[in-house]
Amino acid sequence: MDFPVEILPALAFYMFAAITVASGFLVIFAKNPVHSVLWLILAFFSAAGLFVLMGAEFLAMLLVIVYVGAVAVLFLFVVMMLDINFEELREGALDYIPIGALIGLILLAELVTLGSAWVVGEDITRNAAAPMPSVAEVHNTEAIGQILYTDYIYAFQGAGLVLLVAMIGAIVLTHRTRTGVRRQNISAQVSRRPEDAFELVNVKSGEGVSLTPGKKG
Amino acid sequence: MVFNEVIPNLGIALPEIVMAVGALALLMVGVFSTADKAYRLVTNLAAALLLLTAILLITQVGGERQVTFGGMFVSDGFAIFTKILVLIGSGISLLMAERFLKEHNVAKFEYPVLVVLATLGMMAMISANNFLSLYIGLELQSLALYVLASINRDRNRSTEAGLKYFVLGALSSGMLLFGISYIYGFAGSIEFDVLAETLASGEASVGVIVGLVFLIAALAFKISAVPFHMWTPDVYEGAPTPVTAFFASAPKVAALALFVRVMIGAFPDMLHEWQQVVIFISIASMFVGAFLALVQTNIKRLMAYSSIGHVGFALVGLAAGTQEGITALLIYVAIYLTMTLGAFGAILSMRRGDGMVESIHDLAGLSRTNLPMALAIATFMFSLAGIPLLAGFFGKWEVFKAAVNADLVPLAIIGVLTSVVGAFYYLRVIKIMFFDDPAPAFEGGAGRTVSLVIGVTAIVNSPVSFLLISPLTVAAAWAAGSLLY
Amino acid sequence: MVDAIYSLFGTEGPFLYLTAIVLSILAVVLPLLIAVAFAVYFDRKIWAAVQMRRGPNVVGPFGLLQSFADGLKLFLKETIIPAGANKAIFLIAPMLTFTLALISWAVIPFEARVAIADLNVGILYILAISSLGVYGIIMSGWASNSRYAFLGGLRSAAQMVSYEVSIGFVLVCVLVKVGSLNMTDIVLAQEGGIWNWHFIPYLPVYVIFFISALAETNRPPFDLPEAEAELVAGYQVEYSSMAFALFFLGEYANILLMSAVMAILFLGGWDAPLPILDFIPGWIWLLVKTAFGFWLIAMVKAFVPRYRYDQLMRLGWKVFLPLSLFFVVLYSGLKVAGVPLFS
Repeated sequence: MDFPVEILPALAFYMFAAITVASGFLVIFAKNPVHSVLWLILAFFSAAGLFVLMGAEFLAMLLVIVYVGAVAVLFLFVVMMLDINFEELREGALDYIPIGALIGLILLAELVTLGSAWVVGEDITRNAAAPMPSVAEVHNTEAIGQILYTDYIYAFQGAGLVLLVAMIGAIVLTHRTRTGVRRQNISAQVSRRPEDAFELVNVKSGEGVSLTPGKKG
Repeated sequence: MVFNEVIPNLGIALPEIVMAVGALALLMVGVFSTADKAYRLVTNLAAALLLLTAILLITQVGGERQVTFGGMFVSDGFAIFTKILVLIGSGISLLMAERFLKEHNVAKFEYPVLVVLATLGMMAMISANNFLSLYIGLELQSLALYVLASINRDRNRSTEAGLKYFVLGALSSGMLLFGISYIYGFAGSIEFDVLAETLASGEASVGVIVGLVFLIAALAFKISAVPFHMWTPDVYEGAPTPVTAFFASAPKVAALALFVRVMIGAFPDMLHEWQQVVIFISIASMFVGAFLALVQTNIKRLMAYSSIGHVGFALVGLAAGTQEGITALLIYVAIYLTMTLGAFGAILSMRRGDGMVESIHDLAGLSRTNLPMALAIATFMFSLAGIPLLAGFFGKWEVFKAAVNADLVPLAIIGVLTSVVGAFYYLRVIKIMFFDDPAPAFEGGAGRTVSLVIGVTAIVNSPVSFLLISPLTVAAAWAAGSLLY
Repeated sequence: MVDAIYSLFGTEGPFLYLTAIVLSILAVVLPLLIAVAFAVYFDRKIWAAVQMRRGPNVVGPFGLLQSFADGLKLFLKETIIPAGANKAIFLIAPMLTFTLALISWAVIPFEARVAIADLNVGILYILAISSLGVYGIIMSGWASNSRYAFLGGLRSAAQMVSYEVSIGFVLVCVLVKVGSLNMTDIVLAQEGGIWNWHFIPYLPVYVIFFISALAETNRPPFDLPEAEAELVAGYQVEYSSMAFALFFLGEYANILLMSAVMAILFLGGWDAPLPILDFIPGWIWLLVKTAFGFWLIAMVKAFVPRYRYDQLMRLGWKVFLPLSLFFVVLYSGLKVAGVPLFS
């Protein structure tokens, strides 16, 4: 198969890259916040495409599952539910453009000067050689697993604790135990037997029955 | 194919592991015990857990410097010393919280769990030997603190404090990562040991310096040093008082220790580059702490500015960059911890019929309504001001001495001058307590623990401290010595 | 699959390669769409049979052409866009749903290594695409500018995000044994007859997966996003003609996909139940197993009443999540211990 499929990845790269950058811009410039989030999702998605082209399928899929499939859904959720007039919020935002632009320019200048000053020294290449298995030997999912659970186990577990704190925090700050709410008690419902629920009474004609409420609730 | 079959040496990180597992267990205990008992039970267990961790740490005293987890985690004398201080700060502020939290309906069992997790984050920060573990420790601590600041969510001030802290904290984390990325790009590593080695050989490139500046800015935010102190007064005032007491004690120690660890551990040969920055923020903090505190009327805000000033003094020790300087910093921090815990214990006792009061003028004439308390507060204030014979004086003396010995005479002079200005507002509090017309008396204390803490810290800060200062100096010198290997 | 078609051309060239790609896509999508049409018919017939009705029986022999007639009718109707709707998103939403329902099929293997794309991370790809499916619904709910639609969209988003978690854990259970994320490898691990199939050791997680798949595809008893009694038709309420048809097709294509994934994960994919039946082509076995999965799903629709929303959430977070986590630990433990069936 010597057909020149090489051009396809290149095409795909330019397509994904262009979409990523363009939707990145549109995230900022979209008037409607819901549109912003949707553009953000598109940006994530095309970034995942770029990962695939780099041969990091696992990361690409995780990006889609975690960011697009869960995080951005919650974003969208919140943005859709909030009753905020974003036009009003934007009023006066223009006043901040000079200072924002200034900071942006300073950072850009820094990046440019540093970028031009950047040389890969001997030390750097030696230091930066991360303990990574070669791609040819193992599959990238396996490679990530191998260093994540050995060399970076401390960071991995630490990150887990950070997430736990985030979870506790979210619950502490939002959960309210409301009183006076009737809750479903599933085990009580399931364990309820006919004999607890009703009784058969043989009603003699002309006598009727006397109801004893609460006895067999 | 397995790359690294060696299981990291877990024994070195045993205190942290015990804490982490303990925190998870506490969470379970809290969830499955009845709602009204959960807080008390979990608090006591959490205090026991902190004590256990401290004991485990003490068993490590005297050991060599050891690293584990692929060099991410380091345990040395410095780490043990500061971790014990952090545990003391966390434990005491946790135990002092009970009555306040119950009265404000925020006595949830998550509170002690979050304190434990924050403390774990601080220990991870102190033991960080790699920017990755630094960042994770920092985030673990910060995230728990953000939640704690706004734990009284029904009160606008508390949520505002949490939100402000969160937004600015996120900004500083961003700066931190930005700085780290520069350092990684130009020095090629995020490991402190490798960085120290790499940077020792020759001129540091401009990229590393830029990264370093961002890094220092972010760390300055965490220790609330000027010019990154803006959040401190608002957060201290808005957060519930026991949380403020916690903020002012343990995280401060941890962040200062982290600052030292990064500067001395990763950039020992760039002393001249970072020294200027540290001197600048030290002087600025001392000035702001002294002058802005003059106009405060809220005692929590006053303590916030006071803590900014004290960070400035502590940084004098770091600016010296010598073993003597680090020793002085550690002594300073240890003494500061006792002063601040005592002062917050006193603030927690300021209650009248309709709840807590926070104005300085509520202390008026305290000497006539409650003399022991007035004396205790006076001790803290004198000590914070650095009046000779009290503990606070030793700390200041040590840092200024270290600065002079490191040829930083102007810095020491500025430090002395600002502490004179600072003394004014501490003395004002004393004047209000002893010479103003009495305000209505405070109601009964905030519980036995708080009274005990006030008593003990007052004694520790009183001239009795003469007895304690020499063992402290020995321990601090040992800790500082382990850092400069 | 693409390469096989490409080699059929005899000559080489970029356009031929592209043609081969398009042809292999068509070879999957066209039968799929026809299968969807019959799946709808099948669904209605089963439902009718359970309720002792006849179901569609007028158009064509036994009513077989009913779906096509319905489709034709929908295509001929007018597309109505509500005045307050956000037009672009309103129209993109059904297209998105439909497209996503189709592209998941790219990694489904019909025989060993016969898939449009035999991805290394095939199963993650399916999970990723199915997690994207929520956007079609939430976008349509929002863009319709109608309360019913919006509520439906929100319900659906929360529901799908919740059940994805346990689906993920179920996948982990299976992957721990197989040691690969590739769909073909998953089937190859179960080759050699019915006693090797995963549904035997993995029965509990198969059940969890099945129920989560119902929630993930908004099928009864978890069809709350379109609960007709409360929300009229949920997110679809403002849709008509083509746009509605796209939603409808997408929904059934997703159901078939979930059936196929269950067949691959737990029922041995294309593998024949007994080695002597190997002469029957694998894709027929896959078809039969998918049809079995679909039959189960259709039966559930017929005899289980709809859940209440809080019950749905409770089931997802308080029952399935801990349970599936427990099974992850259990199966990993069994694998580490080297128990034959699980490692």
